[in-house]
Amino acid sequence: MDTTLSEEEVMVREAARKFLETHCPPKLVREMEKDAKGFPPALWRQAAELGWQGLALPEQYGGSAMPLTYLGLVLEEVGRALAPLPLHSTVVAALTIASDANEELRSAILPGVAAGDTVLTWAFHEQNPLLVPEAVQCRAVAEGDGFVINGSKMFVDNYVAADHCLVVCRTAPASAANAGLSLFLVDTKSAGLSPVPLVTLAKDRQSEVRFDKVRVPRQNLVGALHQGWPVAERMLERATALLCAQMLGATRKDAEMAIEWSKYRKAFGQPIGAFQSIQHMCADMLMWIDGGNLLTYEALWRMDQGLPAGVEASQAKAFCNEKCEAVIRISQTIHGGIGFMMEFDLQLWYRRVCAWTMRLGTAYEHRAKVARALLDCPGQVILGRPVPVVAEA
Amino acid sequence: MDFGYSPEQEALRRDVRAFIAEHMTAEVRAEMDGLSEGFGVSPGRHTGTLINDLFRKIGERGWLGISYPKEYGGQGGDRLSQYIVEEEFARANISLGLGGSGAPAIMAAGTEEQKQHFIPKLISGEFSFALGFTEPQAGADLASLQCRAVRDGDEYVINGQKMYTSAAHMATHIYLMARTNPNLPKHRGISIFLFPMDTPGLTVRPLWTIQTDPPAPIGTTYGTPRTNETFFDDVRIPASCMLGKENEGWRVGALGLNLDRVGAARYLISVRRDEDIVNFVKSNRFDGYSPAADPAIRDKIAELWIEAQVCRLMTMRSMSIVQHGGNFTYEGSAEKVWAPEHGVRTTEAISQMLGPYGQLLNGSPHAVERGVFAHNLMGAFQSGINHGSTQVMRDQVARRGLDMPRK
Repeated sequence: MDTTLSEEEVMVREAARKFLETHCPPKLVREMEKDAKGFPPALWRQAAELGWQGLALPEQYGGSAMPLTYLGLVLEEVGRALAPLPLHSTVVAALTIASDANEELRSAILPGVAAGDTVLTWAFHEQNPLLVPEAVQCRAVAEGDGFVINGSKMFVDNYVAADHCLVVCRTAPASAANAGLSLFLVDTKSAGLSPVPLVTLAKDRQSEVRFDKVRVPRQNLVGALHQGWPVAERMLERATALLCAQMLGATRKDAEMAIEWSKYRKAFGQPIGAFQSIQHMCADMLMWIDGGNLLTYEALWRMDQGLPAGVEASQAKAFCNEKCEAVIRISQTIHGGIGFMMEFDLQLWYRRVCAWTMRLGTAYEHRAKVARALLDCPGQVILGRPVPVVAEA
Repeated sequence: MDFGYSPEQEALRRDVRAFIAEHMTAEVRAEMDGLSEGFGVSPGRHTGTLINDLFRKIGERGWLGISYPKEYGGQGGDRLSQYIVEEEFARANISLGLGGSGAPAIMAAGTEEQKQHFIPKLISGEFSFALGFTEPQAGADLASLQCRAVRDGDEYVINGQKMYTSAAHMATHIYLMARTNPNLPKHRGISIFLFPMDTPGLTVRPLWTIQTDPPAPIGTTYGTPRTNETFFDDVRIPASCMLGKENEGWRVGALGLNLDRVGAARYLISVRRDEDIVNFVKSNRFDGYSPAADPAIRDKIAELWIEAQVCRLMTMRSMSIVQHGGNFTYEGSAEKVWAPEHGVRTTEAISQMLGPYGQLLNGSPHAVERGVFAHNLMGAFQSGINHGSTQVMRDQVARRGLDMPRK
């Protein structure tokens, strides 16, 4: 048990921070809000030279096989700088391909990801926004040597930038044996795909994607047919914990701006940061961010150990959704009117953190998952031990 | 980062659990229920025969003072192993945390003679301290304390009054903060003295808490029925009773307090009820009504559980810093904000889950879990007040953690 960062972990974080402070100023963030693809290819290639895309991918595909906690540290810095990189969507899909795709598909896709030549995304959400198997209605039907997909996916991150999209489809009705879902890696250049851009709070690139008789080869099936829900669930858990890291990085920077502002801005003859009312707000911000960090890295660490981590990921996201929102709201309060100005950079952080609290599960959804683990499973719960309760050896 | 325990630590935890399962017999429990000890029983106090026998066995296992050096009666082990043992015993209402404690400050600032004199007996329970900090006019602003210690040859003469010296009627010694120089700025004129409670001129008077009648069941957060006020009238003590140097008591005291704010006892007193309420609602119905099926209650229980994880992880963070030999800047204070405030939120939420049953005190017909939840409503808020109020703790987080200005 050691919650502090090792020397190597500090180095990973510091290197990422230094790189982004140099190469990703707020000016670039603003420019990319208006960019068709939403990311600068030069920065994406530089990120690959630093090994970010392949950080947690296996070595035989050009990755570094580092733990997810390291990827969390990098995404924290990506969040801190609001770096307009499709890193989260790419690594989420790539990690699932690495763990569940066949060898042919892994060799075809992952080296390009690690090299920075490929952008990936994934698609689960539909009209029903819950992250449950019943919400998936998009159909994939076997035909010839492949499958044909019909339906529609919502909130697909970076779709316009992506070369491939990992799509969760319904291939059978839910049964006692499985949820009837399957995952397919779809080439975004395939015929029959039409993205509809969504106008979002973060001004990022999300799309509704319509599938009209989209053909995918059989080898692009990721995981076993009809048995895709556990694969998708692991993917969503990783995505959730990694998004928490990104949110926390952005939120900590947002809070730091407020704290600096409070030391500089004077009212009633003193810096407003000398007022206890402001100090206690700032103390809360620090404690909430630290709390979110601890929850998030515990979840990522458990994933690295191959331990169940769904409850831990939900704990982190439920907490971060509410506490990160509260932090950035307090930061706005401390900044006063200036924080409402387009020209002032704070709004860049505010809008993104707000948006990320709504992605990958609301506080209510995640707490419902935690409640099921606590209340609907047998055994006496003990704090510090996993829930659902597992019998001790 | 490593969020797991070593195989040795896991084995230690299993050993402690097995010991508790074997030795916490119905007879021992009955003896404990007869006492009014709040959080739990401590070694060496006026406990019963079976409990003293239990503490002897715990000592034989080497589970007392694990992280203290062997030459002072400890086990020379690591802080986390000590934490694990303390945590498991705290769940069984047994306090092994050296009751309060003074020991970390003695280890940090004491003379060799003081360490030899106090540490082994604090570990065995033969000695325990009453903490003489708060005064009628000095609570949150502790450094404004007025209790005077005046040097007279090889002695100090102490005059003044201390409030809420909770263990004074049971402790063997007092850990006293007194002013040795009224002409220096308030933080710089304070010294710490350690001396026996039976020193002439020292008087203890009881103050009865709102937990007095009926007595709170054991395990209640601040379930103690009694605290004290302690008076010092020309109390003469040898100058060798001083801990650390003259007028440097604030720094020494802060060190001890800092370490006292973290650890198993401090964490568990605030989060035990989370476990209790989950286990209660999932196995209890009221004539067909199941609180565990109520969506609002489920959402609240999950929220509290998540907060409890934050408390646990903040404790683990403090432990990690101690393990590395570091000192806290703000982390101990953050823990001391989070756990007590969480404990209050849980206690209040539970009252809304139990409804009218939540009112029933110890001994009442239909009392839930011997009324512990109701008694906790009278005690949980105390943990956010003593040993540094949550407001003072937030000041420290802002100033030490964020370097925020005083003016």
